[in-house]
Amino acid sequence: MILSNKIRKLVMEQEGWTRKMFEAGIQMKKDYGAENVYDFSLGNPDIEPPPTLRSRLVDSLANPVPGMHRYMPNNGYEKVREEVAAYLTERCGLPFTALHVFMTVGCAGGINILFKAMLNRGDEVIVPSPFFWEFKNYVENFGAIPKIVDTKEDFQLDIGNIEAAVTNRTKAILVNSPNNPTGVVYAEESLKELADLLFAQRRKGREIYIVADEAYRKLVYTKAPLPDLFALYDLVITVTSHSKDLALPGERIGYVAISPRITQAPLLVSGLMIAIRALGFVNAPALFQRVVAEFQRTSVSIDDYRHRRDFLYDTITEAGFECVKPTGAFYMFPKSPMDDEVDFVFRMQQEERILVVPGRGFGKEGYFRIAYCVPMETIMKARPGFLRAGKRYAGR
Amino acid sequence: MVISNRISRLMESSSWIRAMFEEGEKLKRAYGADAIFDFTLGNPIAEPPQELKRELCELVGKGTVGMHRYMSNSGYEEVREQVAAFHRENSRLPFTKDHIIMTVGSAGGINVVMKALLDPGDEVLVLSPFFVEFMFYIDNHGGVVKLVETTNDFHLDLDAIEKAVTHRTKAIIVNSPNNPTGGVYHEEELKGLASLLSRKRQEGYPVYIVSDEAYRKILYDGISLPDAFNLYDETISVFSHSKDLGLAGERIGYIAISPRIAETKPLVDAMIFANRILGFINAPALMQRLVGSFQKNSVDVAGYQQKRDAIYDILVESGFEVVRPGGTFYIFPKSPMEDDVQFVKILQQHRILAVPGVGFGRSGYFRIAYCTEMDVIERSREAFLEVGRLFK
Repeated sequence: MILSNKIRKLVMEQEGWTRKMFEAGIQMKKDYGAENVYDFSLGNPDIEPPPTLRSRLVDSLANPVPGMHRYMPNNGYEKVREEVAAYLTERCGLPFTALHVFMTVGCAGGINILFKAMLNRGDEVIVPSPFFWEFKNYVENFGAIPKIVDTKEDFQLDIGNIEAAVTNRTKAILVNSPNNPTGVVYAEESLKELADLLFAQRRKGREIYIVADEAYRKLVYTKAPLPDLFALYDLVITVTSHSKDLALPGERIGYVAISPRITQAPLLVSGLMIAIRALGFVNAPALFQRVVAEFQRTSVSIDDYRHRRDFLYDTITEAGFECVKPTGAFYMFPKSPMDDEVDFVFRMQQEERILVVPGRGFGKEGYFRIAYCVPMETIMKARPGFLRAGKRYAGR
Repeated sequence: MVISNRISRLMESSSWIRAMFEEGEKLKRAYGADAIFDFTLGNPIAEPPQELKRELCELVGKGTVGMHRYMSNSGYEEVREQVAAFHRENSRLPFTKDHIIMTVGSAGGINVVMKALLDPGDEVLVLSPFFVEFMFYIDNHGGVVKLVETTNDFHLDLDAIEKAVTHRTKAIIVNSPNNPTGGVYHEEELKGLASLLSRKRQEGYPVYIVSDEAYRKILYDGISLPDAFNLYDETISVFSHSKDLGLAGERIGYIAISPRIAETKPLVDAMIFANRILGFINAPALMQRLVGSFQKNSVDVAGYQQKRDAIYDILVESGFEVVRPGGTFYIFPKSPMEDDVQFVKILQQHRILAVPGVGFGRSGYFRIAYCTEMDVIERSREAFLEVGRLFK
């Protein structure tokens, strides 16, 4: 067999319902026209990068610097890392330097090099569920074991569950807030409790890192900013992407930020230098490193997203679906009115031409995910369909 | 400890590279960077072709809606079609967009290939001397590196290859033009390899050729690279635009899977999947659009050839034994003393920075990367002559 057994197994798994749904969706768009299918299945934002960023990009290419497309140090341009560090220092008040910032090929690339650098075979990474399914693959890429831990009914961290999952092999907990798929922002209180738990574990000789996927950090709808993990706990490494805040997902640009409170930071950086080479990323794309450096304080307009969230949330609740109101990202994770949410998702597709993703794709059966990073018009046109489905299945 | 044992071991084993690098930096500080002849890095200084730069400006100026968004994990269809057209023309084989996956450079591409092919314990033959990163790419996915020496002039040793094939052999990496030697394998020896592998396949040892063609367009003296796809059916080639288009920092390349491979579909699906789960997701969007229409272009190869001639002449004049490279921007002379690490230190004393052959799996040699300004090469002549005189 040409393929490795492991890959074959993984491909087969996703060949199942995701593939079927995906293909049914494509067929539907062919049959009815793409504008008559309401596709909420993908986290591919329809928003454009801020105009200032676009003109910066045009400028930098109109005035090319010799060598601007060459290799640079594996962790990225020093000047870029300095600018990011200055932003982090300003935001968190900790003494970040260029050393603590490592430019990466997006968030996914960042998490992979981090895991490659940190995880031994058999090490465990705690992942609160529901979760972005790829996390499981990222952990398993390096022979480590994802320990999936349920969150509470409102998708907030369940510290008791986390504590029960800690073992001597626990190396890290992967925290993703604002969360994909739920849109929930973990409360500062629960993060403090998490920090307390981890400090207590430290006293038992267990050194556990918080790895925070902050891809949606700037997409928060509450007045209060995202709780600052660096202030709450010392062994924190965050991974950020500019896919969402600067709407550059296709360009693959992000960074790892290592807390200055981690005394082994230089060692970790050396490990990451090897890992980014070994995995074949080599460095984050040169041109976009230069571009994003100046836009650390910028973000696409979140008012648009808020507007969509409000309209969609009202629709969903009016339709009778049970749903935790999201306070970040561009996802909503309502309860499926049918026990088998895959069946429900298929019916939404067939009956209302609405495409959503079953919760089991995020480790939680009985729910479904709506990605509302689509034009407002799509949400408005899908509204009657949601309302009808609610009447039919949610008893309204 | 924050880092894994594996990474820690890798760091230790490459610590001498760091030590050398630091010594070089120290020299630069002491004498000024201009007085040091740094031939250590394969960071090509050739700028992208003018027309490519213009196209890039235009693309960005137009600012098409959606141009920075995700696309399919394998890359834009129209770009893959452009790349497929290039290979159709080159190989006369029925390449379609479905045989092409755009990747984050060729390093990213080879990782994707290995992730798709290898089970833990599977063996990959690597021809030595070799680009050390290959060891990482194989080890990442639980594969085992089996080194096979090439001949004295760095050509294929078919007997040695045959002996190395076992039931666990999944692939052989062929890197021509070669880093570090600059050698280009002849069509004859590649045909020999193909018939060897075909015979092995019949005997129940199916082996894929993974052809790393990152330097395919940096060829000298009018030689051309034999088309890998026409030599052996089970061929997967990996390309990069780091060297031919001078875009090393932008991380853009692709995988081309031979239409002659029996099970193309599952293989391509697995690679697309590997591209996702390894965290690449997709090759950078803007660069994909850019390179699609530049498949036939290249940086100024004549410029590299002049540098090859200059450095080769200097080395010969200084008394080094050296094979004249047919491509890339590397040259791999014999060290006049057995201990190449010690010899590289002597070079350093003469303000020349090079990499010892042991870093490429062959002691007793050293690598010079001449992708520098011509001026650096010319000014280094005196220093090489001085070192040469020490060993007369």
